[in-house]
Amino acid sequence: MTAAGEARLVLLGWNFRTAALSVRERVAFSTDEVREVLDRIRGTGLVTEGVVVSTCNRSEIYGVSDGEGTNAALTRLISEWRGLDPDEAAAGSFQREGAEAARHLFHVAAGLDSMALGESEVLGQVRTALRVAREAGATRSVLHRMFESALAAGKRVRTETEIARHPLSVPSIGFELATKVFGNMDERSMLVLGAGDTGTLFVEQAREAGVSDLRIANRNPERAEVLARRVGGRVVPWEHVFRELPDADVVVGTTSSPEPVVRRRDVEAAMRERRGRPMFFLDLAMPRDFEAGVGDIYNVYAYGLDDLKGVAEENRVRRSREVPRAEAILEEDLARFLAWFGNLAVVPTLNGLQAKLAGLRDAELARVPAADRERFREFADAIAAKLLHQPLRRLKAEPDASRKLDRVEAVRHLFDLDE
Amino acid sequence: MSLHLLGWSAVALYLGAEALAILSLVAPRVAAGKLTPVLVAAGLALQFADLMHRARLLGSVPYRTLGGSVSLFGWMLGIAFLVLFARHRERAIGPFLIPFVVLTSAAGLLLPDSGSAPAQGTHGSLFALHVTLAILAYAAFTFSFVLAVLYLVQSRQLRRRQTGILFARLPALEVIGRMNRTSVTIGLASLVLSLILGLVRAEQAWSTLRDPKIAWAFLTLVIYGFLLWMERRGWEGPRVALLSILGFGVMLFSYTIVNLYFSREHSFR
Repeated sequence: MTAAGEARLVLLGWNFRTAALSVRERVAFSTDEVREVLDRIRGTGLVTEGVVVSTCNRSEIYGVSDGEGTNAALTRLISEWRGLDPDEAAAGSFQREGAEAARHLFHVAAGLDSMALGESEVLGQVRTALRVAREAGATRSVLHRMFESALAAGKRVRTETEIARHPLSVPSIGFELATKVFGNMDERSMLVLGAGDTGTLFVEQAREAGVSDLRIANRNPERAEVLARRVGGRVVPWEHVFRELPDADVVVGTTSSPEPVVRRRDVEAAMRERRGRPMFFLDLAMPRDFEAGVGDIYNVYAYGLDDLKGVAEENRVRRSREVPRAEAILEEDLARFLAWFGNLAVVPTLNGLQAKLAGLRDAELARVPAADRERFREFADAIAAKLLHQPLRRLKAEPDASRKLDRVEAVRHLFDLDE
Repeated sequence: MSLHLLGWSAVALYLGAEALAILSLVAPRVAAGKLTPVLVAAGLALQFADLMHRARLLGSVPYRTLGGSVSLFGWMLGIAFLVLFARHRERAIGPFLIPFVVLTSAAGLLLPDSGSAPAQGTHGSLFALHVTLAILAYAAFTFSFVLAVLYLVQSRQLRRRQTGILFARLPALEVIGRMNRTSVTIGLASLVLSLILGLVRAEQAWSTLRDPKIAWAFLTLVIYGFLLWMERRGWEGPRVALLSILGFGVMLFSYTIVNLYFSREHSFR
């Protein structure tokens, strides 16, 4: 896809599908390094605009170029800078040009190119990439428009399809199930047994979701104390866990205890004290922290790791079923962007401008007596030609492809040619 | 006007609202969901005009004919839906509640619309208020029934780890329970007021209070009263939902079988 055959969209990338981790590590850029990449690729004249999307799973350089062999030159530049073997860097990379480069970005923003299909974090990462590039002065009208369009399309996909609706991670699924019992979790009380990695992960997620009453119990109280301090929770002495049960709406088991920590009779007693108000048990431990049969008690909802993994698999299938709908949305938005980009060429803009002026001229001529019309037409054409001559000559002669696109875009905007 | 053009236009609007509610459930389009209560409100306005027309012909609130009574019931269901929507802002229940508005409103237009001469003591605004409140109570209890069924469905899905689209779209158990509580509260308050007004009128106009309808109304009152008492004590869950369903069964029996076959004073004949 080029505008007037001059400016071309290019993309050079490494992602979890194409490159080994050892390569991805070398081409992963921090925010400062992103700025440096942008300076380097523009400084050497390889591209006139650039945006770098760098996440844990991908490093992608988007650019607008007016020369040939841009991607090969970019690969050389990056591999030299990062001390990579050029052949290894090239082998692990993927390259796109024109509409395919734009299409790839739209897919990335929608989460269709992510390891966890439909994940939402990537939208924020793409947004950050655009911001960093804009602040570095590396974007102009084309990449700015392309990234904004991709972000809008990514948002549309998440709103109009189910692709981001079904959680995939075990803690997220557990949390969603609890939310389906209690609704708003803000005022619920959660007791987490264990302060290891899983317990920490769950507690952090609960805090992010707004759970204010977080209680943490761990055999080793120091660890519970550290975690409680970090997330603003309360430590429950291990020997008081049973006393806390009636007050806990959600109980999460994450210990490495070889024996169940909570017995059925403890839960029955807690439920009696709660007068049958619902309780939610989430067993993320292996072996289990809650005795079998806890979930059979009236108004107790209990889930184990196998249940959650089963739901995760179902959710993965549900998300993949949404891919065709998501792609249709992306294609719709992509077509709009590509139409705009195609119109940025000088010739269609020139034709559009002349047609617009001819329309205005004809409308005015209609008010002139028929006998004088031909004379006035010649007069109007002469003025229009003289008026347009210098600006259009300068537009055509502009050597910088991106600046030319900016100017064409300005003309289209000022004369309302896209309407 | 005897063709109930306004009434059928209202039914058409309710159908439109139902279509939008389903669309909003299947594909979460914000605009569609927002229009659902607007269409219901427009339908209510048209149906009100139709009810007023019936009222002018009958010279009273249209409760003496089966058609009029059911139509008024449909209108009250629409009101109850809007109250629930305004109170809880929960779009997902629309597809399950609006069909009751559609069906009863349509049935009210199809059922016989001629009644006998008004019985003794069935005049005056107090009596009209008695009947209107009773029908509002029936409407609220109907929604309580639907919400109770939805509660049991969602609870079953949670237990069976069925996490499909219905699971994803239906509100949390706690929210459904809260909406049920609102419905029962509206229904109970209306029923109590209606009973008081009815008893006052009955004492003035009838020689005896031995109408089976009164006994059934008290039974309905006891069931729903017990339900609210249970909830106040912190009980919630499937048992409360089952009690809602039982209360609805009793109410339905009272509204149909008792009215049609057992009660002389509350019949549509």
